[in-house]
Amino acid sequence: MSVAWTSKLALAASLALLPVTGWAQSVNISYLTHWSPETVALLEAAAKDYAKTNPDVSVTVRAVPFGDLLTTLRSQGGGSDGPTIGGIYDLWLPELAHDKLVAPAPDAVAGEVKGAWPAGVVSAASVGGKLYGIPNEIDVYALNYNKALFKQAGIAAAPKTWDEFKDAAKKLTNKDAGQQGFGMINSWAAGVVHPFASLLVSNGGDLVKDGKPVLDSPQAAETFQLYEELIKSGASVPAMATADANTTGPFLDNFVSGKTGMIIMANWWESALKGGMGDKFADIATAPIPVGPSGDKPHSISYSWMTVVNANAGAAEQKAAWDFLAWLNNPKSGKNGASAMSDILMSMGILPSRLSDIETHKEKLGSEFLSGYVSVLADAKPFPVVPGGQEFSESLQQTLEALQYGQVSAKDAQATAQTDATSILERAAK
Amino acid sequence: MINRYRASAGIMLAPAVTLIGVFVLLPMLLTVWLSFQDWSTQTPFSNASFIGLDNFYEIFGPTSVGRDFKGALANTAIYTALSVIFILPLSVVFGLMVYQRDVAGGTALRTVLFATYMVPMIAVALVWSKLYSPSEGPLNQMLGLVGIGPQPFLSSPRSALISIVFLNVWQQVGYFTVLAIAGLTQIPGSLYEAAKLDGANRREQFRFITLPLLRRTLLFSAVIAIINAVQVFEPVALITQGGPVGSTNVLTYHIRRVGIERAQGGLGSAMAVMLMLSLIVVICALFAFANRKNDE
Repeated sequence: MSVAWTSKLALAASLALLPVTGWAQSVNISYLTHWSPETVALLEAAAKDYAKTNPDVSVTVRAVPFGDLLTTLRSQGGGSDGPTIGGIYDLWLPELAHDKLVAPAPDAVAGEVKGAWPAGVVSAASVGGKLYGIPNEIDVYALNYNKALFKQAGIAAAPKTWDEFKDAAKKLTNKDAGQQGFGMINSWAAGVVHPFASLLVSNGGDLVKDGKPVLDSPQAAETFQLYEELIKSGASVPAMATADANTTGPFLDNFVSGKTGMIIMANWWESALKGGMGDKFADIATAPIPVGPSGDKPHSISYSWMTVVNANAGAAEQKAAWDFLAWLNNPKSGKNGASAMSDILMSMGILPSRLSDIETHKEKLGSEFLSGYVSVLADAKPFPVVPGGQEFSESLQQTLEALQYGQVSAKDAQATAQTDATSILERAAK
Repeated sequence: MINRYRASAGIMLAPAVTLIGVFVLLPMLLTVWLSFQDWSTQTPFSNASFIGLDNFYEIFGPTSVGRDFKGALANTAIYTALSVIFILPLSVVFGLMVYQRDVAGGTALRTVLFATYMVPMIAVALVWSKLYSPSEGPLNQMLGLVGIGPQPFLSSPRSALISIVFLNVWQQVGYFTVLAIAGLTQIPGSLYEAAKLDGANRREQFRFITLPLLRRTLLFSAVIAIINAVQVFEPVALITQGGPVGSTNVLTYHIRRVGIERAQGGLGSAMAVMLMLSLIVVICALFAFANRKNDE
C-alpha cells in the first residue's frame, strides 16, 4: 500500500472515531480551598490517585487566602465556570443554600453521610432537612499554654477556673520582656469571636438561643468583664494580637516566640505551631477552657467544615464532583482504612469528622497536643449556624476589638453587642 | 451643509459614545437604580424590589450597618486627605530636585522614583507588612537604635491608617513627581533669567514663578491623587482586613464585604452611590477653588 493510501485510510479512521472520542470527553472539575501549598499538594496527589480509576475526570485545585474564600465563592459560584467544589465553613451554609449557590447532595451521598458521620455534624451540613455538603473536619477550641513559661512563672498546672486563669495570666506577664499572659486575637472575625464564645459557654452562657441572641445574659456580662480585666491589668496586649488575611501574623508570632503564655485556639493550628516552633513545639500543651463563676464544667465552641458542590455547574460536572467527593471521603481511598480526606486533614492536625476516620487515626489523635482537643469535643457547643451568622460574627468582632483597645467599657460592649446582634439576625431571618 | 456636517460628526462620535454609554454610564445608572432596591447580588435583577430611601436611612442610621458605613466613609476621607497632603508637596520637592540641571544623577533619581510606581501592590504589601512587623520589623529595629521603643504601626487603631497612608505615598510619589517634572518643563527659562536680573533669590523664584505656573499641573495631580486614594483597596485587603477595630476599613473594602461577601446588593449600591457623590462634590469643590484663584 502506498504512503498516500495509508495516509487517506488513517485520516478516514480518525474521522470515523471522532464521535467516539467526543463521547469519552473528559470532565474538568475544580476544587476551591484555603489550604496551604503543602496541603494543596496532598489534595492534588489524592486527585491523581482518583484519576487512575477515573481517567475521564480531571480535578484542578485552586487555593485562596481564608479571608477571600467566601467572596470568591459568592462572586464566582453564580456561574457554571465557577469552582465546582468548595470547602466551606458551616456558618456560611444557610445563606449559600438560600441563594441557591450550593447543590443538595444526591440521595446516595446523603444516605452514606447520615450513616457514617455524627448526627450533630450532619445537622450542621444540612439546611431545612436537606444535606448540602460532605462534612470533613471538626474544629474545637481549647486553652494552649507554654509549659516553659509556666515553669518560669512558678505555675504548676493549667488553670481550671477563671480565678486561676486570671492569676496565671498575671504571673506570666512581664512587660519589660514584652511578654503577655493571655493572647487575644484581632482583625479576624472567627479569631476574635470563637475564643470569647468558648469562655462564654464555659461560664454557662450562649451566643444565640432558639435563633435569638442572648448576649444580655449575666454570664455574657461576666465574660465581657473578664476581657476588660485582662486588658486593664496588662495581662493581654491588643497590639500583640493582630492577624492577617492568612490567619497568621503577630498573634501567632508572639505565641511561637514565647512572648505569649496562653491563648485559646482551635486544633487546626497545630501545623502552624510546629512550623513556627520546631523542637520547641514540645513546650506547648492543651487544656480545657477554664470554667467561669457561673459555669458547671469546661465547655468550648466547635464548628465544622464541609465540601459543597456548585449548584450552577453543569450536570456532568456536578455528577463528577459528587463522585470525587464520595471517593475522597471513603475509607478505601486513604491509608490503612482511613479516607484520603482524613489523611490530608491529619497532616494539619485537624480532627476528621467521619466516625471511621476518628477510629482509624486513634493513635495520632492521642498525641499530647491533639488529645486535649479530643477530650473536650464531647462537651463542646456548636457555634450557632443561623442566617446572618457571618455578619453577626463580624459585628461582635468589632465590639470585642473596641473593648480590647479600651474604646468602650465592658457594660457598653455588652449592650452594643446585643443590640447589633438582634438587628442583624432579625433582618437576616426575613 | 450644516446638517451633513452634524451627521458625519454624529457617525464619527457614535462608536466612542456607545462604548462609554454601555461600559460607563449604564453601570453607574444601574448602581443608582439598585440603591433604591432590596436586592441580593446572588439573584437576578428581576428579583429586586423597590424600597425607596430605606437603604440610605440604613447606612446613615444608628445600627451596626450605619456605624460601619460612617466609619468607613470617615476612614476614606482621612486616608484621601493625608495622601494628597503628603504626595503633592513631596512630588514638587522631588520634581525640583530631579529637574535641577546642576544636580548630578538626576535621571537615575527619576528612574528610582518612578520604579516604586511599577512594583505590583502585592509585593509592596508583603514587604511593608514585614517592615511594620512589631517584633521583627526593620523599622522598629532602626527606631530601637536611636532609643525609640517599638511602635505598633498596623497593630494599633491609632496608627494603622496612617501606616497604610505612608505605604501609599511611597508607592505613588514617583508617578506624581513625573507629572511635576512635566509641569516644570513648561515654565519658560527666560522667566527665571529675568527674575535673577531683578535680584530674586531661589525662594522668591519658587514662590512667584514656579508655584503659580505649576497650578494647573498640581490641580490635575490633586484630582488624580484623590481618585486613586478614594479607590484604595489592595493594601487593606492584603494587610489589615479593615482592622484593628475597623480603623482601616475603607469604603471600597467595606462595599466589597457588604455587596459581595454578604450579598446585600441594595445596601452595597447605596454605599457606592454615596462614595460617587462624595467624590463628585470634592472634585467640583477643587475645580471651583482653582477657578477662583485664577480669577484673582
